[in-house]
Amino acid sequence: MAQELKSINLVAPAFKGVNTEDSPLAQDPSFAEIADNAVIDKRGRIAARKGHTVVTTNKTVLGTDSLYSIKEYRDDAGNTKVFSVGNNKIISGTTTLADETPGSYTISANDWKIVNFNDHLFFFQRGYEPLIYSNHVGSVEALSSHPHATGVASTMYGHEVLAAYGRLWTADFSTNKSTIYWSDLLDGASWSGGSSGNIDVSKVWPDGYDEIVALAAHNGLLIIFGKHSIIVYDGATSPASMTLSDTVAGIGCVNRDTVQYTGTDVLFLSHTGLKSFGRTIQEKSMPISSLSGNITKDIIAALQNETQFFRSVYSPEEGFYLLTFTGQDVTYCFDVRGTLENGSYRVTRWPSTKFTSYTRLEDGTLHIGTSSGISTYTGYSDNGSGYRFKYYSPSLTFGDSARIKILKKLKPTLVGANNSVVFMKWAYDFDTTYATTEFTVGTQITGFYGESEYTTVEFTGGQLTNQRSLNTTGYGTSVQVGLESEIDGSPLSLQEINVMALIGKLL
Amino acid sequence: MSNGITEFFGDIYGGLQQIGSAVSPALPAVVGGLLTNEAYDRLSDIGEQSILGTTVGGVRVPGAMELAERGQAESQFKPFTVTTPTGAMFTARMGGQPMQTMPAPSSGGFAPSPTAPPSMALPPGMGGLNREMEDLQRQLMSIPRSIRGGTNEFGQEPMLGMGEMDLNNLPPMARISEQQREDIRRYQNIKSRMDEVAAERRSLSPPQGGLLEGPLTNFTEVPVGQLAQQQPTTGGLEVGMTLSPQEQAMQQQLFGGAGGFFGQAVQPTQAREQAIFERMRAAQRPEEERQRLALEERLAAQGRLGVSSAAYGGATPEQLAMATAQEEARNRAMLGAMQQAQAEQAQQAGLGQQFLGASYLPQTQLLAAAQPAQRMAELQQQAQLYGTGLFGETAMSGLESRLLAEQARANLLGGIGSNVLAGLFTPQVTKSGTVIDPGGFGDIGSIIEGIGGGSGGLFDFLGITDQNNDGTWLSRLFGG
Repeated sequence: MAQELKSINLVAPAFKGVNTEDSPLAQDPSFAEIADNAVIDKRGRIAARKGHTVVTTNKTVLGTDSLYSIKEYRDDAGNTKVFSVGNNKIISGTTTLADETPGSYTISANDWKIVNFNDHLFFFQRGYEPLIYSNHVGSVEALSSHPHATGVASTMYGHEVLAAYGRLWTADFSTNKSTIYWSDLLDGASWSGGSSGNIDVSKVWPDGYDEIVALAAHNGLLIIFGKHSIIVYDGATSPASMTLSDTVAGIGCVNRDTVQYTGTDVLFLSHTGLKSFGRTIQEKSMPISSLSGNITKDIIAALQNETQFFRSVYSPEEGFYLLTFTGQDVTYCFDVRGTLENGSYRVTRWPSTKFTSYTRLEDGTLHIGTSSGISTYTGYSDNGSGYRFKYYSPSLTFGDSARIKILKKLKPTLVGANNSVVFMKWAYDFDTTYATTEFTVGTQITGFYGESEYTTVEFTGGQLTNQRSLNTTGYGTSVQVGLESEIDGSPLSLQEINVMALIGKLL
Repeated sequence: MSNGITEFFGDIYGGLQQIGSAVSPALPAVVGGLLTNEAYDRLSDIGEQSILGTTVGGVRVPGAMELAERGQAESQFKPFTVTTPTGAMFTARMGGQPMQTMPAPSSGGFAPSPTAPPSMALPPGMGGLNREMEDLQRQLMSIPRSIRGGTNEFGQEPMLGMGEMDLNNLPPMARISEQQREDIRRYQNIKSRMDEVAAERRSLSPPQGGLLEGPLTNFTEVPVGQLAQQQPTTGGLEVGMTLSPQEQAMQQQLFGGAGGFFGQAVQPTQAREQAIFERMRAAQRPEEERQRLALEERLAAQGRLGVSSAAYGGATPEQLAMATAQEEARNRAMLGAMQQAQAEQAQQAGLGQQFLGASYLPQTQLLAAAQPAQRMAELQQQAQLYGTGLFGETAMSGLESRLLAEQARANLLGGIGSNVLAGLFTPQVTKSGTVIDPGGFGDIGSIIEGIGGGSGGLFDFLGITDQNNDGTWLSRLFGG
């Protein structure tokens, strides 16, 4: 008598993102072992990320270098201008990049932080005199050259700058890692007189010593990130009177450019992964949840190996927080729409994107800096080139790890993937050599009456779903299933994978 | 008494009968002339005696000048000395009057002071010389002004006296009575002794200088304690005040204290201000330090130790407030120190003033004590002046009475003389009606007889006798 096929339905596979922390055998099938160039789409499915479209047509000033920072200048009059840095230059423009570096101002590093404040744009980098751009001047200039600049001195050439509570705040100087300077009220160019001032927090660190890495403003608090501790000041609207509100020892910030505001939280990368401040109303303590708990080891490995820059961006429109290790050319995408049971964000990985900087414009457009110039996060190709979407499930035991499973069929259900070639892969018992079968998704372009009526398109409405049944071979106690597809112009979402297998004897 | 009068008039009429019978007709004329002349001379003598004085019944009656000089002498200022129970002494005297010696301190007085007391004691022998000089002056004033010279009692009509004349070498025509000779001798002796006494006084007096070398005024106020060192030589009023040694010591101590306080009062106050400020700050610093530490702890608890705000002078608002408060306290301390130093300066000045005033207290008290004595001296002076005036008036009334009597006698004598002369040339009618021609001069021999008889004669009646047997009646009668 023939044995009954055992069906294991992987509904919305990997909708919990990647999990490399738990044992593969014990994992929930909703996790993924690999989810490259993927995001969690609006329906909670794993899907291919968007690509980027380069808008720059003339990047002469950039040369072969990449853009390491992008920021849009905006003033109250509605004037806007996009600035970026790269190739040791201050660059403006999106389509044609223009060198805005002030005359006789030499730059040999591109780790600028750029902030908008009160109709002025400020550029800060350790060891460099801050630069300023304003519409009334019309060009980038050294801060000391600005008409209403005061108190500009090498002691305040900080690496971190924060525009908050009506002031500019700067910290992380070449020889001073514990002092924060703040400008006069509403005047980022005035660093002496008025209500400007500074605070030395060297006596405040909870574990005795630390170095300021980043600053953040949240909920009336001034958050000072050290490398391995955090101190929080309340009443920063009046900095001379602000008081210490909380301190956190053991958790710090790796890099200033990992700090992003999500509206209700502040995200930052610590030595142990992505962290956030959870907002509390009644408690004045500062609960910290681990947002990268499913890839902690991967994150730690990445930050330890990083030799260049950390770049991050938060896009409420896309619902993700991107964290890029530019030296390793890898980006982690954290879905910020919700957390899992363990408090972690769903995370996917974007390898080899060449993304080196991000900025979100006021209209929600996500600008990406690459060696090609400025791109927008849109479409499903990387400036006309495809990228590989990968999904690999954790090892599946079908509830009984002692018995042999003989894989018979794989029935993936895909959404989109117009004319894409899809590779289905499987392997047994943690083998990294995958058996592969492929199929090509048909044309998935929707047709409309009057436009392509009765011509080439089928009578479809909305995005097309494609379901295939693929024969498989082999056996083993655990099975890992994967799907790869080259994304080059069309989105792809993995709705489900139905695995049909026979349960064999006990080993 | 009645017998005497009867005998007197019998002598007169017996003499007249004798004149009428025995004297030749020319004799009455001579007698009348002599009597008139005698009356005239007597009146002249009386005038002179009223000025120069005379001797009546062996009693010396001073003349007007002598009375005036005596009155002047007796109305001289009487030196007096007021001695307080504390030993201070107030002395007033005229120049040349003897000084008063310092009374010995009372047994219950102050302990001997190391300070050498200013002495009112005169040099040895000086007191006696002074007293002798006073006596000599008094004696000199008793000599008639015609002898001693000088001015009248009003200081006018200066005249040279005869006292400077050499009795052994008088001019031949000099007519000096024995009395005048005696007065001249007395005057010269007195002056000689006065010169000797003056020489002795000069020899005993210490060398003078300063004030006494200049022209002296009539009134010299001698500073307290200096009277003993000065020997005024003028006739002006000299007032001296001397404190007891204890008072001197106290006065000097108070003077020294006043000087010390005033010396401190004029010193710059900066050093004192700084000292007071430091003391005030020393009292404030501990609390300020506690406040500073408390603030430091609060700031540390708030993590704000390192806050530096330009709006608050490079610190926190609390630090600025504390610094401001401390600066205000410092400023208050500074102002307080200034005020305290100035108050102390004023206090020093006040103490100096008090000490200075107190140092004059013995003198003030001495003056206060002298006031009743001055009143007593005034009373004594008034009594003295009154007595002098009374004496003068009484004496002058005697002189006036004598003058009137002598004047009456002279008039009487002159009337007799006139009648005698008139009878000499007037015809006489006897009882029988016979007219007798005037006889001219009668028998002068009876007159002389009468005179030679020594009793009952006209001369006796007229008082022209020689009862003093000096043999001069004739010369007095006829002159020469």
